[in-house]
Amino acid sequence: MPSATHPRSRGIGHVERRRPRRAAALATLTIVAMLAAGCSEHSVGPARTYDDYERKSRTSAEVALSAVETVRLLAETSTDGNAWGAYTSVSLSEQEDTLAATEGDFASIQPPDHRSDDLRATLLELLGAASDHIAAVRIEARRGNLGSLADAAVPLAADSAALQQFLVSIER
Amino acid sequence: MKKVLGVALGVLTAIGGFVDMGDLVANAETGARFDMNLAWVVIVGVIGIVVYAEMSGRVAALCGRPVFDLVRERLGPRFGMANLLASFFINMLTLTAEIAGVALSLSLVSSVNYLFLIPFVAFLVWLVCWRMSFVMMERIFGLLGLCLVVFAVTVWKIGPDWNQLFSDAAHPHVPHSETVFTYAYFGIALFGAAMTPYEVFFFSSGAVEDGWTRKDLGENKINVLIGFPLGAALSLAIMASTHLLLAPRHISVDQLSQVALPVASAVGRLGLAVVIIGIFAATFGAALETSLSAGYVVAQYLGWPWGKHSAPRTASRFHVVVMMSIIAAALFGLTGVDPVKVTEYSIVLSAAALPLTYFPILVIANDPRYVGPEHTNGRFLNAVASVYLVILVLVAIATIPLMIITKGGS
Repeated sequence: MPSATHPRSRGIGHVERRRPRRAAALATLTIVAMLAAGCSEHSVGPARTYDDYERKSRTSAEVALSAVETVRLLAETSTDGNAWGAYTSVSLSEQEDTLAATEGDFASIQPPDHRSDDLRATLLELLGAASDHIAAVRIEARRGNLGSLADAAVPLAADSAALQQFLVSIER
Repeated sequence: MKKVLGVALGVLTAIGGFVDMGDLVANAETGARFDMNLAWVVIVGVIGIVVYAEMSGRVAALCGRPVFDLVRERLGPRFGMANLLASFFINMLTLTAEIAGVALSLSLVSSVNYLFLIPFVAFLVWLVCWRMSFVMMERIFGLLGLCLVVFAVTVWKIGPDWNQLFSDAAHPHVPHSETVFTYAYFGIALFGAAMTPYEVFFFSSGAVEDGWTRKDLGENKINVLIGFPLGAALSLAIMASTHLLLAPRHISVDQLSQVALPVASAVGRLGLAVVIIGIFAATFGAALETSLSAGYVVAQYLGWPWGKHSAPRTASRFHVVVMMSIIAAALFGLTGVDPVKVTEYSIVLSAAALPLTYFPILVIANDPRYVGPEHTNGRFLNAVASVYLVILVLVAIATIPLMIITKGGS
């Protein structure tokens, strides 16, 4: 019968065997938690400096530009008769949701200083305008007016140009 | 003649079945973001999967036992368990992504939110796994997957400067707007998508389900050597289509619907219909493969009767694992996780676990007790496979740090 002090006794061996298992379990839990956080649609970290805030504003502007351009291409494609209603409508809604989430996420980040306030105001205005214009295209699509989507999407050209200009301005 | 037709059908199935949700997302995303600068990774990945899938098919045909069945026996229960846990976890992520992919493709023709479609898709996947014969299942979805050839038609219709396109692919560099880390991260994602572990589990288990014997070794080689590279050509066509049409407009691919957008724009409604059928078939076929793979790995590790060739009464535990895996994946999908993100993580984590899957295949394919002395790997094959094993280890080491540094590639 193993004694409590024997190296191969249940007590000591038990503890030694458990350590790597606990470490493995902890590592697995960490990966799962990272995945759960990463796979959620909206995850925002804080911005402690202006540089951080600027980086986040750049990412938000890039996502918005992608959504705006996707909607422009969708509108063009539908007007040319190259896509049906369900595809167009679902795709537009996805882009609208993406932009709304980006706008919400960016608005929720605390600007660290006064310089960041200006950046915040400029970008939120651009995102707001783009959201309104994408919503207008989506409304037209849901009404079945696929042939006139390109007209509804005209204001998005200016949104796209403004977002690109914003990106260039923060590159400098 | 019948034999030739059978081989041709096998090759076509291999081409159509090569692309899954991971390939669709990874190739479309990298094409839009990195142009053709990561095309070389698809080629490196397909050579790797050709080398190792051929080995696993050969082992299955010669022993009548799939790779996972032999891992525990040859490398011991601990290694087998580590392999099982990693493979099963990644397989579940992949299954979630595939089920969500099917639901998303259906939502594009029905306007119904994909979350409402997930339970229906999960039931359909289970029903097909339960009722349809293995050969029928493989053929139908593999052949329908050939609809993805429409991506090649799209590239042709866009009419690119072919010299420029090939030159871009042949002279890769890190784009100015990206860092070395994001470049490496997306390279790993593409590599993981090409060498997903479930592909070899399914391939070798499928060989046993199909009753492959020594006589089928030639067919195994043809399927792998012709089918997989042509399947990879489809992946490159997806990458080229988003590079040509979405990248110049600063569009990044965050949704499955965007993958189909170049096709709609360049080919029209018919093209859109064909590509959605192709996406449906590719994701549905992969959902079947991953569902069955979940049952295969668990049942083979624990020594339970397994397979669709066994009556459900005799392989009841295998069928329960398949069913429970489908339910768990559907429930995970219903939590509202972003399907594209799940796909990205599944392929990147696949890359992290690749050595666990491929190392045992190399060991067993060199063991004359399993494949016979005349069918062990030759020197050249071993050299190539060993180089790949080194690449797989390096990729596995780099994956998690790159995931953290790039914040998941953002």
